[in-house]
Amino acid sequence: MSYFFLKESDLKDFVRKLISSAPVIAPVARKNKFVFADLESPDELRLDYDITILPPKKAFFPPNQTLLSFKENKATSAIRPREQILFGVHTYDVKAIDMLDLLFAENNADNNYLANRKATTIVAMTPQAVSGRAFWESVGKTVQPNGHDALMTKIREGYVFEPRTPQGTRLTKSGIFSQASSGQLDEASKCQSEIAAKCPEKLSHSTREISDKMRASFNNEKIWHTASLDCFSCGTCNIVCPTCYCFDVQDQWNLDQVSGARYRTWDACLTEDFAKISLGPAGAENFREERAERFRHRMMRKATYLNSRLGGPACVGCGRCSEGCVPDIADPVKIINNVMES
Amino acid sequence: MSAVKKARVAFFDFTCCEGCQIELTNLGQDVFLGLLEHIEIVEFREAMSEQTKERIDIAFVEGSFSREADRARLEEIRARSNLVIAYGACAATGGINALKNHTTDYKKFVYSKDANMPHLDSHNALPVSAAIKVDFAVNGCPMDRNEFVYIVSHLLHGKTPVIPNHPVCVECKKRETVCRYHLGDHCMGVIARAGCNAPCPADGIPCEACRGFIDQPNEAALVKVLVEKAGFSNDRAKNKSRMFTANLRSDVK
Repeated sequence: MSYFFLKESDLKDFVRKLISSAPVIAPVARKNKFVFADLESPDELRLDYDITILPPKKAFFPPNQTLLSFKENKATSAIRPREQILFGVHTYDVKAIDMLDLLFAENNADNNYLANRKATTIVAMTPQAVSGRAFWESVGKTVQPNGHDALMTKIREGYVFEPRTPQGTRLTKSGIFSQASSGQLDEASKCQSEIAAKCPEKLSHSTREISDKMRASFNNEKIWHTASLDCFSCGTCNIVCPTCYCFDVQDQWNLDQVSGARYRTWDACLTEDFAKISLGPAGAENFREERAERFRHRMMRKATYLNSRLGGPACVGCGRCSEGCVPDIADPVKIINNVMES
Repeated sequence: MSAVKKARVAFFDFTCCEGCQIELTNLGQDVFLGLLEHIEIVEFREAMSEQTKERIDIAFVEGSFSREADRARLEEIRARSNLVIAYGACAATGGINALKNHTTDYKKFVYSKDANMPHLDSHNALPVSAAIKVDFAVNGCPMDRNEFVYIVSHLLHGKTPVIPNHPVCVECKKRETVCRYHLGDHCMGVIARAGCNAPCPADGIPCEACRGFIDQPNEAALVKVLVEKAGFSNDRAKNKSRMFTANLRSDVK
């Protein structure tokens, strides 16, 4: 594929044309943070964002999603994908989306996810800023971002635009693009390595070393008890995680009491009831009743359990959990480095 | 399923402001009248003058149990009701009334020379469940009317409503509300039971845990973050959870 160049002064026109062609979901400011939201105008766009509160997976896997509606004994699918453009997704988040694509497609294909995902064109972005807790440079180094339709990298004069799919190429018809020069490509490549080097946190061991040592630490009660002392079981680390994909399914009746909807909502394995299962009339059983067990479970899922399926850890180093955790105990770098030193 | 029999529903109030009954009338005409297709309201002091001594399918009891004299009336309601639902924070946990439970001198300050009037002779403000068996609770101050409709729907179908046992943080994150702690503020959402969809932090004010604690609140960690992240004094941090959750604290007597 060839590489394109878009002048900074032509960005707004490009984005305006995209908005007129399909809904564009992109980073915008919210108070002192950023979120992905439907763009009303290119003026809202904040490509200089460091991190968003929720990861962009919400564009096709929303926090609350209706799966079907029912009336008496008849159910109707709620799958109604809209063609949309997810714009400005940082490369670490692209890696996370690629993992979800795999996990939702294997075994029982999850069409409520896959249909929305298929209708989404993703324009990835080399980060222009790093969040205070980012460590994406040092995690899962062998896993490359994949599954996006184009990659944009900010250089001094504008943006290098690399289409990776026919949809990505088609987007260039909406803007005044020229062929990128080799000098511009070199500059983009330099920007990519420079920003990666700015990640303030760092893992010091390989994926394999971490995975093995984490598994071996499973029965080290002291580590997990101490690490989770201040845990509220609030689930924030799960809810903000780009690779978490667990959900809970519930039914709700409409006022008429004969029709209603089945919906799913993001679940969180740190919360007390996550692993509570009904035993029918015999009551219920919770197989991760203790805070420390739930705390450990998340780290095992991120650092070792899924590695063979994903080809790397189920963590992309975005740092959202570290930043979102009020008592500041969820930082994978601190937890992993502590286990590695034990 | 289409022929759901109309359930006989009644509302009763004890120590409270009756705001949760008022909140029900805020459902709006469509929802309220829609509900009346499926329930028959036989007693509801805020909206009608009729009363009943007949059997009731679902009794919603508002207010905390704070006078021994109220016990007989509660027992009488229990005896003729299939389901008793604690309705609103005061009934579910003692609510804001329980703020007085750790003090002894409030009567003098609030009522001055009238402090010894007989109707002021109350004991600790307690949840209704301290006097009678309660089947379910509609939490919150005021109760959340959408959750009320959800609970009533489930009960009409003989199902157990699912009330979250996770903190309000889950709902703030799903809405992408900027965390109060990231704005230099405090918040009780970390130990508060969700289910309200976190409207207060979204409107720029901290959660006060009006829906009570989750089942296993980390009280020690709450005091710690109130001191370390929100800049509270140690005393203020320790007392903070008396506002709505005095009866749920581990030091409750």
